[in-house]
Amino acid sequence: MKLLIIEDDESAAKLLGNGLVEAGFSVDLAHDGETGLRQARDGDHDLWVIDVMLPGRDGLSVLKALRDQGRRTPALILSALGEVDERVQGLRSGGDDYVVKPYAFVELLARIEALLRRVRSFGSGPETMLELADLRMDLLSRSVTRSGQEIDLQPREFHLLEYLMRHAGQVVTRTMLLENVWEYFFDPQTNVVDVHISRLRQKIDKSFATPLLHTVRGSGYILRVEP
Amino acid sequence: MLLIEIFELLLLGVIGGGVFFWWRQSRAHRQNEALLNSKLVAVTQSSRQTGDNIAHDLRTPLTRLRADVEGALRHDDVEMHRATLERVLDEIQNMQNIINALLTLGQAEVGVMNVRKKTVNLSGLLEELIELYIPSAEDRSLTLQGNIAPDLTIEADRQLLARIFANLFDNELKYVPAGGTILLTALARGKRVEIRVEDDGPGIPVEMRDKIFERFARLDPSRTLSGGAGLGLSLVKAFAQLLQGEICVAESSLGGAAFILTLPVSAAKVSKLSPKSAVARL
Repeated sequence: MKLLIIEDDESAAKLLGNGLVEAGFSVDLAHDGETGLRQARDGDHDLWVIDVMLPGRDGLSVLKALRDQGRRTPALILSALGEVDERVQGLRSGGDDYVVKPYAFVELLARIEALLRRVRSFGSGPETMLELADLRMDLLSRSVTRSGQEIDLQPREFHLLEYLMRHAGQVVTRTMLLENVWEYFFDPQTNVVDVHISRLRQKIDKSFATPLLHTVRGSGYILRVEP
Repeated sequence: MLLIEIFELLLLGVIGGGVFFWWRQSRAHRQNEALLNSKLVAVTQSSRQTGDNIAHDLRTPLTRLRADVEGALRHDDVEMHRATLERVLDEIQNMQNIINALLTLGQAEVGVMNVRKKTVNLSGLLEELIELYIPSAEDRSLTLQGNIAPDLTIEADRQLLARIFANLFDNELKYVPAGGTILLTALARGKRVEIRVEDDGPGIPVEMRDKIFERFARLDPSRTLSGGAGLGLSLVKAFAQLLQGEICVAESSLGGAAFILTLPVSAAKVSKLSPKSAVARL
């Protein structure tokens, strides 16, 4: 998977690039809007990471130019501004997701992986059944079983588990869960998400030998078979 | 001759009119400028005071960071370095939270934050927020209950509303002792809705009731017992004002504090203001 990072702070771009290379991506860097636009247009990247504030041509205008040319590569917007307004503006300019600077690397990586996965599953039609090991979720009858045993979930718990199952094998952060399961674009001071996760874990993992829902320290959660 | 006189009179009239117009414009301009200046002075003073507080609030974690890093550098122990780096990251996150809250507060107070008003099912939103917070309340041995009139709808920004109540609940969870009760009541009052978040905790002394909405205000002067930067209630007030609402704190019939928020059902349209007109609005 090949990514393009358009970020004017060279040292921040390099650090981010190193992290993404360590995570298994190949990475191109651009430090201003015009160069970024050219590289994005001429390259075959799977995803663009675009900073909003760039010298010369700003990130949103670069993205808009690319979208106007019919380029559909997923784009993740980086912005130092950090309010809902900018998020909406970023998404309107053709961004697929948005991260506020200064960001945690794990947050950015989780969102990149979620975006790439979304693109891969595009066009595969709506799923009616999600499965991971012996955990099965029927989206039509809205029922969940593990090893054939019925698990009773509240509507929100169902939604939470559905999001985790759709991103199985991938780290999801607290912020991603708040945005996608509760539709809140801010982080409360209380550990509300952690407590909901621990209740869900009680229901899907407690009476079974293999735990599926794991905490990734300092990052978030991952649903997978291996610990 | 007569023609020349008429021409002279006309010329005088035009010049005089021009001068009068210029004088009137510049007087209005001067008055406007004086008004803007006095408001800018007020803003500057308030931001200077805030600046002092920020300096204080950021110096404490910076002192800890510095001591921690210097301590780690005196040793070659990899495990110790790792533990230090983890603490450093936590401190950075705390400072980042303070800075983000201050930026949001600044934007909200000066009125440059965009408010996206839509019809919001307030009863539904409040039920959802209670549902979000109940497990955290139970973890702290607190009872969180709602008594919400059905079908309350208002014209407001859903995210701002949610942030108001999330901040109030964060505050309650921090200050109400274990075993306590938190109650949210919502009802319509004519063209307004009233939402109360109250508890049976220790309450807020009368002399502190206006002050708790100020930046960095905390009942605990040492600022260490409860954690948090003391910006949550300032945010609540600023967001309430953005929605043309009001918030105050009183004594609850449960024995503790009652935060009472009133919001218009259908608020006047507020568009995004430019910083200049926002200053004039202060």
